[in-house]
Formats: sequence, C-alpha cells, structure tokens
Amino acid sequence: MNLDISFAFETLIQIIPGIPVTLGMALGALLIAVPLGFLLALIRVNKIFIIDKLAALYVSFVRGTPVVVQIFLIYSALPAILNQMIEANGWQLDAYSVPPVLYAILVFGFNTSTHLSEIFRSALLSVPKGQKEAAYTVGLNAFQAYRRIIIPQALAVAAPSMCTASMNMLKNTSLAYMMAVMDITGRAKALAGVGYQYLEAYLDIFVMYLILCLCVEKLFQIWEKRLLHYKITA
Amino acid sequence: MITIDNVKKSFQGNEVLKGISLTIEKNDVVAILGPSGSGKTTFLRCINFLEKADEGKIVFDGIETDLSKASKKEIAAIRKKTAFVFQNYNLFQNKTALENVTEGLIIARKVPKAEAEKIAKEALDKVGLSERYDYYPSQLSGGQQQRVGIARAFAVNPEVILFDEPTSALDPELIGEVLGVMKKLAKEGTTMVVVTHEMSFARDAATKVVFMADGKIVEEGTSKEFFTHPKEERTRQFLRRYLNDYDYLI
Ligand SMILES: Nc1ncnc2c1ncn2[C@@H]1O[C@H](COP(=O)(O)OP(=O)(O)OP(=O)(O)O)[C@@H](O)[C@H]1O
Ligand SMILES: [Mg+2]
Repeated sequence: MNLDISFAFETLIQIIPGIPVTLGMALGALLIAVPLGFLLALIRVNKIFIIDKLAALYVSFVRGTPVVVQIFLIYSALPAILNQMIEANGWQLDAYSVPPVLYAILVFGFNTSTHLSEIFRSALLSVPKGQKEAAYTVGLNAFQAYRRIIIPQALAVAAPSMCTASMNMLKNTSLAYMMAVMDITGRAKALAGVGYQYLEAYLDIFVMYLILCLCVEKLFQIWEKRLLHYKITA
Repeated sequence: MITIDNVKKSFQGNEVLKGISLTIEKNDVVAILGPSGSGKTTFLRCINFLEKADEGKIVFDGIETDLSKASKKEIAAIRKKTAFVFQNYNLFQNKTALENVTEGLIIARKVPKAEAEKIAKEALDKVGLSERYDYYPSQLSGGQQQRVGIARAFAVNPEVILFDEPTSALDPELIGEVLGVMKKLAKEGTTMVVVTHEMSFARDAATKVVFMADGKIVEEGTSKEFFTHPKEERTRQFLRRYLNDYDYLI
C-alpha cells in the first residue's frame, strides 16, 4: 500500500473550504431539530388529544426508515412539489436552482428531530411531578413552570444524549454528497476521483470528522457542566 | 375567612373524599389527623387544585369558587392566596435556597428583585438558615430543605399555609427544628392547615383539630376538647394507638 503523503496534504487543503458547509448543514439541521423535537416531546408528554398520535406516527415513520432513503425521497420529491407550487402561483423562481444544501438541512433536521423528541420526552418525564406542583403552588403558570423549573432540569438530563444525537447527525451529513452538496465528503470524493487516489482523500476526512466530533463533544461537556451546576453535593 | 363545602373526590371509582366540609377562621391552626389512606393529602390537594375535585366549593374571603370546574383565573387567584408545604419538600432543584423563596415573589407576584431578595433573606433568617442562602437543595439536609420549603411558603404572605405531613419524611432528630419553626408561625397568628401525625404539635399548637377516616370527618373540635374528651369511639381508638407514649387524659 502506497500512501501519497503530499497528495493527502494537498487535498486536505482543498477540502478545508468544505468545513463551513459541513458545520453549516449540521447547525441548520439543529435549528430545525431542536425546536421541532421539543415540540413533539411536549405534545406527547402532555398527551394532547389526537396530535400526540400524529406526533408518535411521525416519529416512528422517520425513525423506522434509513436516512439514505429519506434523502432519496426528499431530494426527488421536494423540487417537483416546489415546482408545481411555483407554476400554480406564477412565482418568479426556479425550483431546480434551490441549493441542494437546503434540502440536506431539511432531511437531517427532520431526521434528528425524532431522535431529540425521544430524548426530550424521557428527560421531561424524569423531572419529578412535585417540581411542577411546587411551581404551581408558588403561583407560576404552566408556561413559567416549564421555562424556569422543568426545562432547565430536563436539559441537564438530556444533554449527554443530545450530544450523541448531534454527533450522529454531524456524521450523517457525510451522506449529503448524494445530493451534490460540496461538504468535506463531497470535496474529498471529487478530488479523489480525479487521480483515483481515494485512500488519501478518505483519510483526510476521516481525521476531519474525528476532530469535528471531538470539538462537538467538548462543547457539549462545557454546556453540561453549566447545566449541572446545581447538582453539586455537599 | 375560608369555608370549604362538601368536597368529593374519587380515583377510578374509589371514593376517597366523601363530602368534606371545613371552616377556617383567620389565625386558626387546624390540625388534620387520621389514619393512612383516609384522604388527608387528597383533601389538601383539592383545595389548591393540585387535584381536581369531583364536587365541592370553596368560599375564600367571600368569593365562591367551584372546586370541580374553576377557571384558570379562579385557580390562579386561590393559589396566590395560599401556600403549600410538601411532605417531600419539593424545593426547586435548580434554584438556590434564596431563589426558591424569591421565585413566587418575582415571577408570580411581580415584586422587584431587590425587594424580593430582602423578603427572602428575612424569611430564611427566620427559619434559621441565614448561612445557607446560596446553597442548592442537594447541599441541604432534609430538615434544612423543609425549612426552606416553609420560608418559601410564608414569604409570599399567603392568607393560609397548607402543610402536608411536613415532618414525616424527616429523620427523627430533624423533626424538632421543623416543628419549632411551625410553632413559631402558629404563635404569630399565621393561618395554617396542617396534616400531621405529630400529636404534640396538634395538642400544643393547633386551635382546632379535625379527625378524618375513610374520606369523612369523624370528629372535630378545639384541641383541648379533642384530646381530653374525644366523643367518637373511632377517635379514641386512633388516639390510643398514637398517644400510648404520652400521659393522655381520656
Ligand atoms: N393519584 C391517585 N390515583 C389513585 N388513587 C389515589 C391517588 N392519590 C391518592 N389515591 C388513593 O386515595 C386514598 C387517600 O389517599 P391520601 O394520600 O389522600 O391519604 P392520606 O390520608 O394522605 O394518607 P397518608 O397518611 O398515608 O399520607 C388512598 O387509598 C390512595 O391510594
Ligand atoms: Mg398523605
């Protein structure tokens, strides 16, 4: 096995511009996944009539299918749907000029929202009922009780699993090359294809994902420490 | 000041409260006694809407509210006039002792922060926790936590404080410090309803004693009447079991 170190280094430099794309995708997806996942969890924890069944259905659909299939589906269906809407409304838009990274963000956002909803759900349920009751008795309303008492405690419980879910999602964004997104994987594949030097390029992104994931883990650890400040024991 | 009328509550067809009525005057200290499972906790929870009664009403300062179908506004109004002390303290785990007390003042009653902190510090001083303002519940003993719970209750200056067995989760050596605080409040004229198994508290600090069994009030009277001349056989049996450590005067 011959490793071309200088090629590996050159490609590494050329892959670097893909890092903001990878991180941007992950961040964009989180911006969808966190609020949506939280909403789904709230709906299910509070057993809101009918909607909770729909939420459960959505979660099992998304969780029960491979990301790759979700990518195929969204990437082929969404532009067509968008196109029909554009034609029907006479908008001055081209459905096929929408940057694919946006579709990727949607797929990973929806996908991660289901994992997060499960995480938030069990975290919310882990906060003892007495916390909410005490909040009510001191005069807080339901919204205030959630925001000030229940959610901070639930987040402290959820943080480690949120970290895992976020890291999984970051790694999954490597599938975005299937939608022609030029993230680090997309770049690596393109560069490697030129001289058939796959191994070097893949080693580059192997290390990059590793470093990115370690950074994410570290960030979550810092956040978790702050969330858990109240659990210090005497 | 408060009249509670005919409270009924069932859990899955099991009738736990079979029509409880109670009148509480200002400065009253009402002790509710009764065997386990008689519905004492459920009754207190119904007054504060932690549990929805099937039937019954409460007249609070002349304002009548249906306990089975009160509006959010009515519930909020009654909760602002009452405070609750839980058996297992239920301090906000993510808040310090001081923040536990200020929460109801700042958020629910819109008291400015500086003033709320002053009130909270006074309340914590009163329960002997002037050294523990910034401790989290996980850093406090059970007795200290319950004293914070009591400070949190009286700091909002409620018209009545409801206590649900405030000492029964405590180690015996910690009960005294909590009862001491409660007796102090009673002496100052705080209106209190106290579910308890502490006969000494009921005898010495209560102005009125209510004995509940099987979801009904069996007997009620002044503390003196109740402990010296119980009328009902059921009450005598109960007292015999609980007071055999004492020189009781039946
Ligand atoms: N949420 C609930 N669901 C079903 N049954 C309940 C519920 N809460 C209370 N009960 C039942 O109601 C009855 C009265 O309970 P409650 O807690 O009010 O009694 P208590 O007088 O406070 O007893 P203790 O002295 O043991 O605290 C019990 O038989 C209990 O099992
Ligand atoms: Mg009880």
